[in-house]
Amino acid sequence: MQCEQASKMMSEWLDGRLGDAEVAVLEDHLSQCSECQAEWSRLQTLDTLLSAAAMVRPPVRMRVQVMARLSRRDQARRAIIGGTALGLGTVALALLALAPVIAGLLNATDVVPALVSGGPATVAQLLTVTGAMGRTLLVLAESFALPLACLMLGSLAVALALNRLWVGAVRRVQTTH
Amino acid sequence: MTDEADWIKMARAGDQSAFGRLVVAYQTPVYNLAYRMLGNAAEAEEAAQETFLRAYTHLRSYDPQRAFRSWLLSIASHYCIDRLRRRRITWLPLEDELAIPDRLTTNIPGPETLVARREREEHVQGLLAELSPTDRAAITLRYWYDCSYEEIAETLDLTVSAVKSRLHRARRTLAGTMQGDTAYAV
Repeated sequence: MQCEQASKMMSEWLDGRLGDAEVAVLEDHLSQCSECQAEWSRLQTLDTLLSAAAMVRPPVRMRVQVMARLSRRDQARRAIIGGTALGLGTVALALLALAPVIAGLLNATDVVPALVSGGPATVAQLLTVTGAMGRTLLVLAESFALPLACLMLGSLAVALALNRLWVGAVRRVQTTH
Repeated sequence: MTDEADWIKMARAGDQSAFGRLVVAYQTPVYNLAYRMLGNAAEAEEAAQETFLRAYTHLRSYDPQRAFRSWLLSIASHYCIDRLRRRRITWLPLEDELAIPDRLTTNIPGPETLVARREREEHVQGLLAELSPTDRAAITLRYWYDCSYEEIAETLDLTVSAVKSRLHRARRTLAGTMQGDTAYAV
């Protein structure tokens, strides 16, 4: 037996993974090799030292601290969700407030009449683009951001509906006057 | 169903108090592993807390067929190995370590015993610091948790053959270091 092989077997012997026959072979080698005897002695001393080392006890505050960190993390998560909802609401309100201004600008710059004068082809192209954007949003929503995308689409729909009501009301007032 | 299985099930459903019971049940093995790996009480405390936070976050991916302790120790081992690799040092000056954590003992030792124990503890940690992070984890799991080669392999994502090689190499390194230490020379 080579010393290198004997060294590997010593480690397994310490772990109780050698059969009787292998132990006999190793013992035979140890009885003839002083270097391996010395290594075996060192390994046994090491084994005794490590086996005697006890578990160390954690600080008593461990549970309290873990639970506090869990609680802080939940609070942070709730704050992010709340902030996102608040941000979306603010955007929706801003859109609502700016709607009359944007409508006025569109009228002033003759953009709307130009689109209308473009005829059915222009309208069809606009509808195609809008449809593609809608499908893209749905794919994104399905793949990774369903709740957030639903929230955004919902906010956008509410903003658009409110804008429509607002513009309609303004027009009715203008017509009356 | 055991208490532990109940706690795991409840914690998976979002019950933090049930998870707190798991923390109490496993804080010693997790903390001890972190301490043996990192050699520092403050870092070990932080690592143990982080282990439990990660366990709570990934509780849904836990396979109930596997021992919960083994799953937790796996999280702790990988976290400590990553931390050691980021630290890029192999030796922690134990002279700076003022507070050796309490040991699991019921007897109140005298001052001489305490000194001897502290010296032995420092010697053990000094030896472990000579090893690579993964070898250190393998030796720790073998000696403090009485893990089989198969359990160590599962915990550290190694093959059984690799575990055998690492334990052999680690022991030779440690024995060589001890030989140079007059207090423990054979």
